[in-house]
Amino acid sequence: MDQQQYHLIPGRQDGTRLESRVLEERLQEAVAKGHRKIEVAALGQHGIGGRLWRTGDEALHVRVTGHSGQRLGSMGFPNTRIENMGPASDDVGWLNAGAEIVVHGDATNGVANAMAQGRVYVAGSIGARGMTMTKRNPRFDPPELWVLGSAGDYFGEFMAGGIAVICGIEAKNPDNVLGYRPLVGMVGGKVFFRGPHGGYSKSDARLTPISDQDWQWLTENLKRFLKTIGRTELYEELAERERWQLIAARSPQDKVVQKTRSISEFRQSVWNRELGPGGLIGDLTDMDMSSIPLIVTGELRRFVPVWENRVYDPPCRATCPTGIPVHERWRLIREGRVDEAVDMALAYTPFPASVCGYLCPNLCMESCTRQSANMAPVDITQLGKASIEAKTPEMPPVSGKKTAVIGGGPAGISIAWQLRLAGHDAVIFDVSDTLGGKMSRLIPQARIPGEVLDAELKRIRSLLPHVHLQQQLSKDDIKQLKTDYDFVVVAAGTTKPRTLEIPGRERMIFANDFLARAKHGRIEPGEKVVIIGAGNVGCDVAVEADRLGAKDITLIDVQKPASFGKERRHAEGVGAKFLWPRFARQITDEGVVLESGETLPADTVVISVGDVPDLEFLPDSVEAEKGFVKVNEYFQTTDPQIFAIGDIVQPGLLTDAIGTGRKAAAAITRIAEGGRPALDKPQMIDVSRVSLEYFDPRITGFSGVEQCATNCASCGACRDCGICETVCPRGAISRTDLGDDAYEYVADPELCIACGFCAAACPCGVWTMRENDPLN
Amino acid sequence: MSANAKITPSTLSIKDLPWQIAWSQEKCTLCGQCTAVCPVNAIEAGVFRKRIVDVDINADRQPGNVYKVYHGIRQRTDPAYHCVGCGMCAMVCPNDAIMPYHSDEAEKLKFHLNQGGQPERRGGRRNAPSGVLDQIKFLRISMLTDPALDAGRHEFEMRTLLGRILPPEQNMEIVRQRGWIPPVREIYPLIIGGMSFGALSPPMWEGLQMGVAYLNEEMGMPVRISTGEGGCPPRLLRSRFLRYVILQIASGYFGWDEIIHAIPEMKVDPCAIEIKYGQGAKPGDGGLLMWHKVNELISAIRGVPMGVSLPSPPTHQTKYSIEEAVAKMIQSMYMAWGFRVPVYPKISATSTALAVLNNLTRNPYAAGLAIDGEDGGTGAAYNVSMDHMGHPVASCLRDCYLNLVHLGQQNEIPLFAGGGIGKNGNLAANAAALIMLGASGVQVGKYVMQAAAGCVGSETQRCNICNIGQCPKGITAQDPRLYRRLDADDVAQRLVDMFVAFDTELRKIVAPLGRSTSLPIGMSDALGIGDKAAADRLGIKYVV
Repeated sequence: MDQQQYHLIPGRQDGTRLESRVLEERLQEAVAKGHRKIEVAALGQHGIGGRLWRTGDEALHVRVTGHSGQRLGSMGFPNTRIENMGPASDDVGWLNAGAEIVVHGDATNGVANAMAQGRVYVAGSIGARGMTMTKRNPRFDPPELWVLGSAGDYFGEFMAGGIAVICGIEAKNPDNVLGYRPLVGMVGGKVFFRGPHGGYSKSDARLTPISDQDWQWLTENLKRFLKTIGRTELYEELAERERWQLIAARSPQDKVVQKTRSISEFRQSVWNRELGPGGLIGDLTDMDMSSIPLIVTGELRRFVPVWENRVYDPPCRATCPTGIPVHERWRLIREGRVDEAVDMALAYTPFPASVCGYLCPNLCMESCTRQSANMAPVDITQLGKASIEAKTPEMPPVSGKKTAVIGGGPAGISIAWQLRLAGHDAVIFDVSDTLGGKMSRLIPQARIPGEVLDAELKRIRSLLPHVHLQQQLSKDDIKQLKTDYDFVVVAAGTTKPRTLEIPGRERMIFANDFLARAKHGRIEPGEKVVIIGAGNVGCDVAVEADRLGAKDITLIDVQKPASFGKERRHAEGVGAKFLWPRFARQITDEGVVLESGETLPADTVVISVGDVPDLEFLPDSVEAEKGFVKVNEYFQTTDPQIFAIGDIVQPGLLTDAIGTGRKAAAAITRIAEGGRPALDKPQMIDVSRVSLEYFDPRITGFSGVEQCATNCASCGACRDCGICETVCPRGAISRTDLGDDAYEYVADPELCIACGFCAAACPCGVWTMRENDPLN
Repeated sequence: MSANAKITPSTLSIKDLPWQIAWSQEKCTLCGQCTAVCPVNAIEAGVFRKRIVDVDINADRQPGNVYKVYHGIRQRTDPAYHCVGCGMCAMVCPNDAIMPYHSDEAEKLKFHLNQGGQPERRGGRRNAPSGVLDQIKFLRISMLTDPALDAGRHEFEMRTLLGRILPPEQNMEIVRQRGWIPPVREIYPLIIGGMSFGALSPPMWEGLQMGVAYLNEEMGMPVRISTGEGGCPPRLLRSRFLRYVILQIASGYFGWDEIIHAIPEMKVDPCAIEIKYGQGAKPGDGGLLMWHKVNELISAIRGVPMGVSLPSPPTHQTKYSIEEAVAKMIQSMYMAWGFRVPVYPKISATSTALAVLNNLTRNPYAAGLAIDGEDGGTGAAYNVSMDHMGHPVASCLRDCYLNLVHLGQQNEIPLFAGGGIGKNGNLAANAAALIMLGASGVQVGKYVMQAAAGCVGSETQRCNICNIGQCPKGITAQDPRLYRRLDADDVAQRLVDMFVAFDTELRKIVAPLGRSTSLPIGMSDALGIGDKAAADRLGIKYVV
């Protein structure tokens, strides 16, 4: 076999083009037979010259004449040299694994696509997507692509290795030898080029200075390239170093995304420059717009804590018609000032023991915040009973202003007492022979020990020396009183019992008469007693009747009885029957005949359907309304000089009567001192602000006033317990001593974050959170 | 509540609330940050009494009771202070000791949010997480049978046209006659929908505007933003950035005197004028900016007194039919800028949308039609309007597009779809689906708030208190104490991130379809859905 002769493999047989498969078989066969120089007269066959490993290390030269098809030299081996004597079609050197492929002309798209080793020499220019997806395996030398002319578009996409050299001679586009959008996704290798370019993917690649080592490699290999393609005359022109440039892939570290302007720089140099200082709304506001954290202090807080000490009344005081500051008394006891706590009551009521201790239904206890959690209310009756020992306060000198008080019951005594405490004389006139009104005359002994009431009345007499009993006053007398006194107060109560206009009504005894006579044992009711009207007075009658020997006691009413509390329990305790609805038609010797025809047998029939005032003695200047005296909110009647208080205005509890006396006294004092009357009643605290969790819920009774005081939540009034100071997570709250036993708790705005812990943890509900003042 | 307290019909237990606070005594340090940050005061410090019955094991001594008091966090059950689940407590808790959890059963609160006869009002969105858009798939993957495109490598023209496009022959005729050719803008297909200055806080609004300017000037993306109905700051009106802005006019006409005064001083024309007739989130409800959001700044921009509530009526006054309204408003708004600025109406999606569209096809001035679906967001609305009024955007948009196809005008009047696009985070997929159903572009609001500003609202009842000015992220607050939590620069940066990422995702969808030089508007043969009824209704493939 002549090794110098080319073995010709024609691409056509018998006038017919060989299939690529057949040509490949013949080429492989020729190599197997020992041919090392083969000429293929190609007719567009695919993949000529690749995969010819059979020669081992022995060199193999494949010359291609005619028209090579696509993928010339694909999967070429290092032993193979392929020389295409004219231009080549797509994908020259595809997946080239070491062959040297020479194209003596242009090559179309996809030259060296995915090439990993070997060389591709192109004596002209190449089409699109040359040198794309190329590799570099460290076991081998890098692949090389040499192009004498220029590269087409999308050159070097995803190039991962190898060296491309674009010489720019007779470039297809002399203005851009690298084509449109080259090197997108390039991660490895380098590209030497000569001539202008139209940009490349700067995020993937960058221009790099050509080192001496690079230049040496380039010039040496350039000579070889030019020799191979037979253009050595170009060497001088191409050896001008300054005309060459080198692009290398960016390393992963270097591969920063295209450097963009920061937003803050954009704001400064673009946004604010166009809009003006302060940006979008800098002309409309100079408000600080800098950013703030979620947790803030000072004026940035949405809420601020407020120490509302004694701003609101506790429910006990707010619901006490007399207005006794019950919580203050417990505070004094907690502070060990028991005497002061006891004495304090007399500033509000002349009957702290009789009323608070015995006769009052104790609205303060009913409303006690502790009740809201099913806890036993603080027991005021203990403190009330202790008040029997209270010291009479020192009296101020009298002012000269004088008030006549008509009626010596609880209302009249209350106002006289209050006026005297305020330094004004008061003179009491009463029709009865005893002071104290209904308290003295009608309330059964069972409800209050006689000595307690006596002791309090004695204390009252010591303070109010001017009491005129058994004084029946007429209209003229009142006129005279108006002349003699600065003010006249009507506190005559309800003295006229109401009755029923039924046959036999003369057989009935009025309840008040019954009670007054019973108190002195001057009545024998017999065994059977029927009481018409089952209110609390009716209950008192029942109890007294029982005491006086009655066995069968019945209370009837036209509706569900209104009686309640101690009176009702007492009556039920003595076995009294309550019947309703029952309508009395007639009173006979037998008893009470009802509308139903039934007769309730009775030895004594008592009528207890309420009392109305006797207004006969009042001057015409005092107007009445529905049988009672009409007053304004200060208990002033339509005659400005005359005030009216107690049941004559509106029937109520003893504490109501005492309270009206206190309020009217305040009004009179203000007027006497040249001012205008005013109501200064604070609001009741929202009890949900109070924390009862600090107290033992299992206490059902109190062993003494000290235990009562300890268990009082002191709603709305600081107990000085220091819980707020302790619970504050920022240490913002501190206690400031203001001298004279006064103090306050304050929250430092610079430390406080407005968490509201103080308000939530305060046992007394003193701290609260309010919205901070608006910032804009 | 206290055991002895009176209960009322609206006395609720924690169990009855939609959100329940789980608090760990073991982890809590009582730092107070959760109660300080809670926007609705739903939590407070609590005082707890703990009882231990102390019994000796061998009964060696008398049993006793031990009481301890401890402090912790307590959830309020008063409907007025119900937890909205925003989770700010969890955000500030240094020890992860607190977290709101959604109730495991139907809440009872909803029956009590009508105290005093006032029905529930809120902000946010419809509480309905699902939607047809998320179910639509893109089926037509070209692979190598068509020229394959690579989203990462190829260049894409992700642009759309806003404006009336005349048929070529008509266009040529008008050119010959030197007549008026409607203005057309080439813009990015993702438009930031109308959110007013007032509904949004100053840093939010500025951040969005600045981000849009950045996208245009630094990134080369022609993104546009609608002002919503609340006017426009005077400086923006007089800046070159106005080019990126779609000025919205709606029934309240807020801020329009300032805009009119600025016209002679404008450096550039605005992108377009959007006439708002309806809002998909709350059709027929009208707008309301509560008085506590109307501060000095808002009053200056809107041209109204401070501290007054600002209603936008659900109807435009002085207009008596949609035909009249559209014709009259479009003419007026064109005149303001010398017929150089496209004007288009925005309506809420409705079964009567076709009537409006057909009207527009006969009006050569109509620059497009924006259709807003029921899943859109709002700053304030009646809950009933939000949850029960409205029309899904997909079928409404589709009907409109097919109607245009029927008329042969599908390339002439661009349709823009809005309302719930990306509501579950699938912005690009939802947008692409609507584009392939026939939209020329989409409008988004809520997604922007969530992505660019960290809005914590959700379609499962979270937060949604935009209406009361207590936005914990400062997005919809007008109180500096809240809105200064938000930094405009951060908003702008996130907006840029969002748009750039969206752009890549959109390419990832359209590239396999073989589209790179024009949006695949109406390319519904690429769409499929595993729901036969939806497939039939939308005219797309049913696939399983």
